[in-house]
Amino acid sequence: MESLDADRASLMIALPKGRLVDQTLQLFAAAGLPLPAADNGRKLILASAVGDIRYVMSKPADVPTYVEYGAADLGICGLDTLRESRRHVYEPLLLPFGYCRLCLAAPVDRPDTPLRYASQPRVATKYPNLTADFFRARGVNAEIIALNGSVELGPLVGLADLIVDLVETGSTLQANGLVETRTIMQIQAVLIANRAAYHLKRTAVENVIGRLRTHLAPG
Amino acid sequence: MTTRSSAGQVPTGVADYFWGEAYARRRLEATLLGAFRQWGYGDVVTPAFEYADTLSARGNRELQSELCRFLDRDGSMLALRADMTIPVARLVGTRLHDAPTPQRFCYSGSVFRDVEPRAGQQREFWQAGVELLGSAAPEADAEVLALTAHALHAVGIEHFRLVLGQMQYFDGLLQALQLTPEAQVRLTQAIDRNSEPELDAFLRETPLPRRQQRALAELPRLGGADIDAILHRAERLALNKTMQHAIINLRAICDVLAACGMLERVTLDLSEIHNLGYYTGITFEVLAPGVGFRIASGGRYDNLIGTFGAPLPAVGAALGLERVLLAWRLGATAPPPHPLAPDLVVATGNHPAAFEFAERARRAGLVVVLDLEQRSDAALCAYAGAVGAHAALDWGVAPPTIFDLTGATPVADALTAQSAPVLLASLLESKECSQVLAGNEVRS
Repeated sequence: MESLDADRASLMIALPKGRLVDQTLQLFAAAGLPLPAADNGRKLILASAVGDIRYVMSKPADVPTYVEYGAADLGICGLDTLRESRRHVYEPLLLPFGYCRLCLAAPVDRPDTPLRYASQPRVATKYPNLTADFFRARGVNAEIIALNGSVELGPLVGLADLIVDLVETGSTLQANGLVETRTIMQIQAVLIANRAAYHLKRTAVENVIGRLRTHLAPG
Repeated sequence: MTTRSSAGQVPTGVADYFWGEAYARRRLEATLLGAFRQWGYGDVVTPAFEYADTLSARGNRELQSELCRFLDRDGSMLALRADMTIPVARLVGTRLHDAPTPQRFCYSGSVFRDVEPRAGQQREFWQAGVELLGSAAPEADAEVLALTAHALHAVGIEHFRLVLGQMQYFDGLLQALQLTPEAQVRLTQAIDRNSEPELDAFLRETPLPRRQQRALAELPRLGGADIDAILHRAERLALNKTMQHAIINLRAICDVLAACGMLERVTLDLSEIHNLGYYTGITFEVLAPGVGFRIASGGRYDNLIGTFGAPLPAVGAALGLERVLLAWRLGATAPPPHPLAPDLVVATGNHPAAFEFAERARRAGLVVVLDLEQRSDAALCAYAGAVGAHAALDWGVAPPTIFDLTGATPVADALTAQSAPVLLASLLESKECSQVLAGNEVRS
């Protein structure tokens, strides 16, 4: 049992490179959690300056994968990434940043008819699973075109009739002659936990969750 | 358009195992079955495929959607077994219901789920496990838990935790809440994700009496290793007989586990509801450090056998062989040795005495390979060295010559009636030495 107790002490946390990382680090600092030691930006696994937490910097879409396999005990990602990945993890805490929404958008000049009138719309998206779920739930047989970026170009170049993408302010849509027609889901950052680590390293995991929760609690 | 033939490839989610890995599986299987039999569990072998109706009886939607189905010649729907519990329940319910109870069965074999391969989950995977049928006593649940732990010890896994839940607690809660089907799905999802935000939102949007609200809000916190305290809190939150019975049952099981010295391995989690859908009492999973998913799981299924015949309470456990191997490898210091490395290569020269000697060596416990190519001297030593043998014996020359291959260069010596037993003894000794060095000693 000694080694089980030893395991409780050290935690690996997967952080998403990119849009969520600065706010995640600010939140961790404010909640009094040890931060990754400064580095030259190339190392992918960072030890905390104090305490026994290590951080792995990964592509946002990989965070749920790391956590489901237990390569990381905890992770931070957006709800969009998590639901699209269909990974089976615990989701103990929503975090107050990374707010945006997953939307269906159409060209401005396209009449906004009910979706069920469209026989087989072509939809460009970075979220093929969530998009397929959305249309399937409405009985529409959409043709999903999975892209890796610049989805809003789809209708402009005649690749797609509609797009499903993240919208923060709507300015990108507007600039490309698109308009939001449906909100598919509200997005924010979420703390996820490996199901086994949640039980095997309960003390350490609850310590992190507890500190974040206390810091986030209103008042 | 050219179509590429898939002949020679394997579909996703299935795999070949060979050499050391295949041996490690077989050995693991044998050790587990040996442990189960020592506790009085008899072997059972059921078909790899059965009627789909049988296999989907009482399973939840997840299990039903994951069955690998195909058509029988008469058009009836068949499916590959997705677990071993349902076939054993079918066998006992239809044919063995009048045998003295409790009945104890153990099995090992591959099961099939038609899923996208994911963490720890392929389409074909191996399970070894036990079913204890015909007893509703908490002692039966405790026996299956203790045997699971014993089997893991037997294969050399020292560090693991048993996470114990009770389906009746959540079922009783759902009965008390009387939710619409949609609300029930939403609540179950929030609990399964252990998502406090989703649960909070549910509580905000669903008007419930205060006591029910509190029972629901506290559910995610009914987990941990402090068993007495958790059971005490859970009991105070119970809303009906079903929930109370779940706690009484868990307490009785934990008392037995304490008596077998196992309680320190147990964590409670009354919010753990992820399973195949046929469990009616305790559920459990075994977690090991470094493996992100459960390596074994099980529970009580009192309504399953009655689907096929006379009702009979039952409890069982299944260990995932791939997952146990993974946990074992993470804890092991040395990789499993290749078992087929022979101890001795014999070039017989087709002399009867050579075949006799080889047989004697095999009876003594050595792995002996015959050279089929009439090699001799340097060629024989090179071949024997390449397959990892400790010695080569050349009977094609007179007198027969033994080559010791354990040093940097082969050392030749004549084999005589006096030196033969010495040779066998020293080969046996070096074999045992190398097994101990590889951490390969048989545990029990």
